[in-house]
Amino acid sequence: MEKSNWNKRKWSDGVLKGLIYLSTALTVAILAIIIGFILYKGIPGVNFNFLVRDWDSRTTFVNINKQAGEASTNPKYVASLGITLEDKDNAVYIKEIDSNSPVRNALNMKEQLYELKESDIITKVDKENTDGMTADEVAAFLTENSDAVIRLKVIRPGGGIKQMLISTIYIIILTLVIAGPIGISSAIYLNEYARPGRVLRLIRFAIQNLAGIPSIIYGLFGMLVFVQLAKMQYSILAGALTLSIMLLPTIISATEEALKEIPKVYRESSFGLGATKLQTIRRIILPGALPGILVAMILGIGRIVGESAALIWTAGTVAQIPISLVGGEAAAATLTTKMYWLIKETGDLSAASSIAVVLLILIIALNVASKLITRLFLRKKGTN
Amino acid sequence: MNDTVKFSVKDLDLYYGNFQALKKINMEIHKGKITAFIGPSGCGKSTFLKTINRMNDLIEGVKITGSITMDGVDIYKDMDAIQLRTRVGMVFQQPNPFPMSIYDNVAYGPRIHGIKKKSVLDEIVERSLKQAAIWEEVKDKLKKSALAVSGGQQQRICIARTLAIEPEVILMDEPTSALDPISTLKIEDLATELKQHYSIIIVTHNMQQAGRISDKTAFFLTGEVVEYGDTEQIFNKPRNKKTEDYITGRFG
Repeated sequence: MEKSNWNKRKWSDGVLKGLIYLSTALTVAILAIIIGFILYKGIPGVNFNFLVRDWDSRTTFVNINKQAGEASTNPKYVASLGITLEDKDNAVYIKEIDSNSPVRNALNMKEQLYELKESDIITKVDKENTDGMTADEVAAFLTENSDAVIRLKVIRPGGGIKQMLISTIYIIILTLVIAGPIGISSAIYLNEYARPGRVLRLIRFAIQNLAGIPSIIYGLFGMLVFVQLAKMQYSILAGALTLSIMLLPTIISATEEALKEIPKVYRESSFGLGATKLQTIRRIILPGALPGILVAMILGIGRIVGESAALIWTAGTVAQIPISLVGGEAAAATLTTKMYWLIKETGDLSAASSIAVVLLILIIALNVASKLITRLFLRKKGTN
Repeated sequence: MNDTVKFSVKDLDLYYGNFQALKKINMEIHKGKITAFIGPSGCGKSTFLKTINRMNDLIEGVKITGSITMDGVDIYKDMDAIQLRTRVGMVFQQPNPFPMSIYDNVAYGPRIHGIKKKSVLDEIVERSLKQAAIWEEVKDKLKKSALAVSGGQQQRICIARTLAIEPEVILMDEPTSALDPISTLKIEDLATELKQHYSIIIVTHNMQQAGRISDKTAFFLTGEVVEYGDTEQIFNKPRNKKTEDYITGRFG
């Protein structure tokens, strides 16, 4: 046999191999670039304050009862209020608050407690605007003041994602509470009760298609039916219901997979002992399928956290913590919908990137959690 | 009606869809005896066994005509399947304890039937494990997983699990085919012990086993009972040529 095309083969092998390596490198590079860019833009803005502050800044007038404080050599310290001031970006803010400072008992105009916090910006002292003054000057001004009670105009800076974090958690819980039982029950029906036949195939076909519908269509549906028709307005309930429908196919198939893992003989033995189907499901099948269902839930959470289109049109983009399920006070932006709002309304890509960083961390954490659970339960199964 | 007859099977046919798996089975199975079903693979002996506790009901597309009566009552027409299975227990070929502790495995049956009191369950578990001749070996590890013991022990735990519901009949579907010879002998001894209190029907691939422990034997071939009678007679003086061929190993 002629073996003379060795060089040709070596060459074409090399080229193809190079292309394969190149494709992989390209994929990894693209992923690295995306994540790298987001991190670069967003990390500077991610800090503790970012996570716990409100989104909107808040301006309040407060009355404070002065104390007989000890003067200090620090020109920025105000003894009568027990606070240290500092300059930043043309504003004077409170840098430190003594533990017994009277500003902790400041009252707003409605006589309610409004404790001043570090980072609060002072813009007015009694009738005097302090714009343009330095921290030293404001401190001196406050120290000179001899009234027993002093009124300050204070701006609490916003820009934090506290409301979005909490709203996201609310929506996750609400969606799982709705979609979980329905999805699991449907999976049990499909796997344990349904008879093979045309009806079953139709049901499965419907579920499969449900899984492939673009999420914005769910958003449209949610808006038409929940927000408008059912008069829920932009609300977390409308959002959760819409997400539940989106999530159902995933929960159903994951649960079914878990149910299928349970050996048939367990069911047979259970029936052989005189158990009913429901008893068997309750005592043997569901407990055995639990790890798989748990993983499905966690993956579901991942999808909820990442969903934007469906929520924009059902839960709105207002940064508030919802205090009811429906109605005006129930609208709530999640991390993703606020990102959308930021890009669309303000073009503030840095803030959007910071939110993106938080989202990335959340998603990675969820994926790790689901892997850990899977491994934990596989190990348990193994030692059995 | 004969007082020693537990089951009376009349003209039993069974179809899987269009395939007829059992053809005109007629037999009487006696109380307090071990009845063995023997025959080559696919001859219908396991299928027939499963008609006795209506496990075939769980399979789609199965049709049964004819009748089986237990103590005179038709088990298909006049009895609830769940009820039937508390009186007719089954041990399967592969030991298949549930993925729970030994205690919970044996207590599963009684719990299903509403027994909750711990002292009662404790007593039932101990009694059943003793009857299954495995109490001494596992009494100190009742809370351990039932999957952590050997195959032979697992099978005896499954037998204990069946005994815990206090059936009248125990069906055994090739209970030792997955076990080693020593475990096999232990279970054969167990069966011989148990027949004092229970009627036992055992399907086995192992002719010698049938010869060792059964009182009556039925030889199945392609869904029919070729011959049925006292084990002594079947093995030593078979009336049917096919029986003789099978016994002497000419086929099967």
